[in-house]
Amino acid sequence: MSKEYLGEFEELILTMVGVLQEEAYGAAIAEEIEKRLKRDVNLSAVHVTLYRLEDKGLIKSKVGGATSERGGRRKRIYTITSAGLALLRTMKETRMDLWKLIPQLKMSV
Amino acid sequence: MNPRPPLPPAWALRFLRSICPDRLAEEIEGDLIQKFESDVRRFGLSRARRRFEWNAIRFFRPGIVLRNKLTYHFINTIMLRNYLTIAFRNVTKNKVFSLINIFGLGTGLAVCLLIFQFVSHELSFDTFFDNADRIYRVTNDRFQNGKLIQHGTITYPTVGPTMAKDYPEIEMYTRVMPGGDLNVKIDDKIFRGDYCHYVDEHFLSVFSFPLLAGDRASALKEPYSLVLTESVAKKYYGVTDGDYASIVGKTLIWGLDTQPYKIAGVCADNPDNSHITFNVLVSYATLIRPEDHGADDSWTWSDFRHYIVLKPGVDYKAFESKFPAFSDRYFKGDKVSGSVEKFYLQPLKKAHLYSDYEYDIARTASGKAVWAMLIVAIFILVIAWINYINLTTSRALDRAKEVGLRKVMGALKTQLVRQFILESILISLIAFVVAVAITWASQSSFNEIVGSPLSMLKVLGEMQAPSIIIAVLVLVSGVLLAGFYPAFVLSSYQPATVLKGKFQHSSGGKFMRKALVVFQFTASATLITGTLIVSKQLKFMNDADLGIAIRNIMLVDPPELTAWDSTFMTRVENYKDELTKISGVVSAATSSRIPGNRLGRTFGLRLAEQPSDTHYTMSFFGADHNFMDTYDVPLVAGRKFLPTDHKFDFKAINSVIINQNAVELLGIASAQEAIGKEILDGDLKVRIVGVVGNFHQESLKKPMEPIVFVPTYSTYAETSIKIKTADPKPLIAQVEAVYKKFFPNNAFLYSFLEDRYNRQYNDEDRFAKVVTIFTLLGIIISCLGLIGLSSYTAVQRTKEIGIRKALGASRLGIVSLLSADFIKLVVVAIVLSFPLAYMAMHQWLSNYPYKIALQWTLFLLPAVTILVIAFATISFQIFKTARTNPADTLKYE
Repeated sequence: MSKEYLGEFEELILTMVGVLQEEAYGAAIAEEIEKRLKRDVNLSAVHVTLYRLEDKGLIKSKVGGATSERGGRRKRIYTITSAGLALLRTMKETRMDLWKLIPQLKMSV
Repeated sequence: MNPRPPLPPAWALRFLRSICPDRLAEEIEGDLIQKFESDVRRFGLSRARRRFEWNAIRFFRPGIVLRNKLTYHFINTIMLRNYLTIAFRNVTKNKVFSLINIFGLGTGLAVCLLIFQFVSHELSFDTFFDNADRIYRVTNDRFQNGKLIQHGTITYPTVGPTMAKDYPEIEMYTRVMPGGDLNVKIDDKIFRGDYCHYVDEHFLSVFSFPLLAGDRASALKEPYSLVLTESVAKKYYGVTDGDYASIVGKTLIWGLDTQPYKIAGVCADNPDNSHITFNVLVSYATLIRPEDHGADDSWTWSDFRHYIVLKPGVDYKAFESKFPAFSDRYFKGDKVSGSVEKFYLQPLKKAHLYSDYEYDIARTASGKAVWAMLIVAIFILVIAWINYINLTTSRALDRAKEVGLRKVMGALKTQLVRQFILESILISLIAFVVAVAITWASQSSFNEIVGSPLSMLKVLGEMQAPSIIIAVLVLVSGVLLAGFYPAFVLSSYQPATVLKGKFQHSSGGKFMRKALVVFQFTASATLITGTLIVSKQLKFMNDADLGIAIRNIMLVDPPELTAWDSTFMTRVENYKDELTKISGVVSAATSSRIPGNRLGRTFGLRLAEQPSDTHYTMSFFGADHNFMDTYDVPLVAGRKFLPTDHKFDFKAINSVIINQNAVELLGIASAQEAIGKEILDGDLKVRIVGVVGNFHQESLKKPMEPIVFVPTYSTYAETSIKIKTADPKPLIAQVEAVYKKFFPNNAFLYSFLEDRYNRQYNDEDRFAKVVTIFTLLGIIISCLGLIGLSSYTAVQRTKEIGIRKALGASRLGIVSLLSADFIKLVVVAIVLSFPLAYMAMHQWLSNYPYKIALQWTLFLLPAVTILVIAFATISFQIFKTARTNPADTLKYE
């Protein structure tokens, strides 16, 4: 799995699934991204990415209970798998390692 | 609780559900509705609805739609096996029927594949040049006395440099003059007949022919420099290892020239889709030195084809509008060149298909014919698909019980539709394999007919994304459409009625099938009429009285390697005398051009008695005193040329013959009156000694022009030998011996005039052949459809016929009853085809100045043919039905 590659958007969605825990479903994720990152995302893109991540085994899903909201449609709640969490961690560490290699002097001006 | 919450648009929800996999549809909808509800609060209802629609549409993406397919297959794998088994059993159950079906569709597809290759080859002309989009040909129209006298690609050598100097829009220009055959000597070896062009140094920069050796920018700068094509380099120097750089700098001798020519480069052979073709390029400086006054700065010598490259972003139409000012500035009306000059630009990509220019060196073809073939191909494909629909629905009876049973067992209509579409895809795939096989098998004969080395692989390799998409779209939609109709017809049966054995078709279905048959036969009848008219026109042109006898004329190539000196004329006289002594030779003549050749023109003629600002243009024909007799050109007034008319010094020539069109052009009332009048051509003054009848110098595609005949001899004149013998073989050897005796060192090459003259009709021949083949295929495919339909009706009416026979109907009565239905359809089709064929052929014939009249008999013959063919096709089935014993068909009642 070490060769697994994640795109920027995929990584973002994966992180969001981790962040939102029991509230991680398509519309909530899109809303959260818009709120926190001030970035406009399209629902279809979020869904496609979720399915792809599920195919890769990084997240898993189960159908939640019905509510009177959402026209009575049930939610599909996503949870991050341990493989997904491990991958996120590896990516973060690799990035930090690289970050340390940037000469920091210029930044302190 | 609130009253009912606002709802998103229903169609968007339906759309979502249709594209999303069932498993995911619910949550996707839920998410979108949630978003919609928050949007309603934020933006109001109407904007939220719009956003919902847009968001729903955006779910139509591969990541969602493709997920769908996987689940679809997952659900159906169990039934899929069953569908395949049933499909296979159905194909094998009725082998003849399946064969007709598959073969018909396969042939239609094969025709399309072949024509598609042809069309894409024709459309690919000149697209391979780097600057193809920015290269333009400069074309030139000339007017005298308010009339168009020349519509050509040739113009004056000064035009290119002057335009480039005056207009910054021009990035580059190049000039080309065809140089004819290159006959070279390398050491002691003689090579004949390689076609060369004189081109200036920019030629290889404008046209990005790949260069294998030499420098693109400088190769054609120096006088006596040559650039060879790869195959010529191989021929001349036997280069086998691809090291063309090794021959750069070598020299050769051309014709009688003493100055050696130097090889300055080697370029790849011309691609098959290049409008300009050559074996060798000769530097322009060889022909004209910059210091040659009256040549490079000439505003009257017009033998040059010009190409310009416009800078990126220049609109050529807007640029073209500056040319009238250019003409005024340099040509001052008709003061400079004797005619009013108008210049235009033709995009290079149009040069091959859309050129009707005189003195054109481009390989041209008729763009109309190419599009016509594409239309024919589509016609045939549609006919083939219609056939498929007809044949499949006509077998509905066989399948009706199966459908009924499936429905009783709980099959949904959509499942049945899927099953039948799957079957039609299967049949289409098999047909496609058959089509590829047919294409592959007939490729070489097809290539021979169209005269281009086509291949499917090449076409696929060169194809660009848009045309691939269009082709795939056409194929897929065709397969689906052809599959859908039968699928819906078959799946819509009511199980109760079908299984009870009562079975009646809706009148809508009947009408549909009849309409399809009418369409097929309209197309076929139109094609037959078209073929007939094309072949009639061809025959008309081949058999027309040309006003000149071109049969039984043998031609011998000119003795170019013999020097022009004071003895040449006597030598030719003696040579002709000796030729006529050969038994079987009637007469012999030499002339600068032969029938079928484009003649050169002279633009500044007038009668001596006319004012000096009068200009007339005539074609120019150099002929000897035997010419009119050899070719049986009738003398109208005066006399023919005499041996004494010929002069060694061209300037001393003082007698000419003109044709009747020239008499008319000069404004002389009658041929008699023309005799003795003097004509001025610049400084030359000549007297008209004779008037001859008009004849078709070129094919009947061209009008007859005014011609002036001048009594000349030249080393570039071909010999025309009129022969009268059953077997020309032994005669050829004798002619060769005489030729060798008078012109040693020259290679003896001969041909027959009729062959060369008829080559002018290559385009028409090709068109006629291809259309004929496709017409035959169209008819065959239509008839296959008719067989299917007639057998269907016969089966449906079996009981009716049985009862009729039991009640005493005669066989003849039954036959006429059954055939009447079909014949009616065919008659309707024929009537519909009349206006179609008339319009199409009227349009086609309008390209020819000499043409056949569109008489009604031309339309009658195809009508009768189609009727006979249609009747013959259905008669087999009908007679079989009429013959059946009513006891057999009625015994189950």
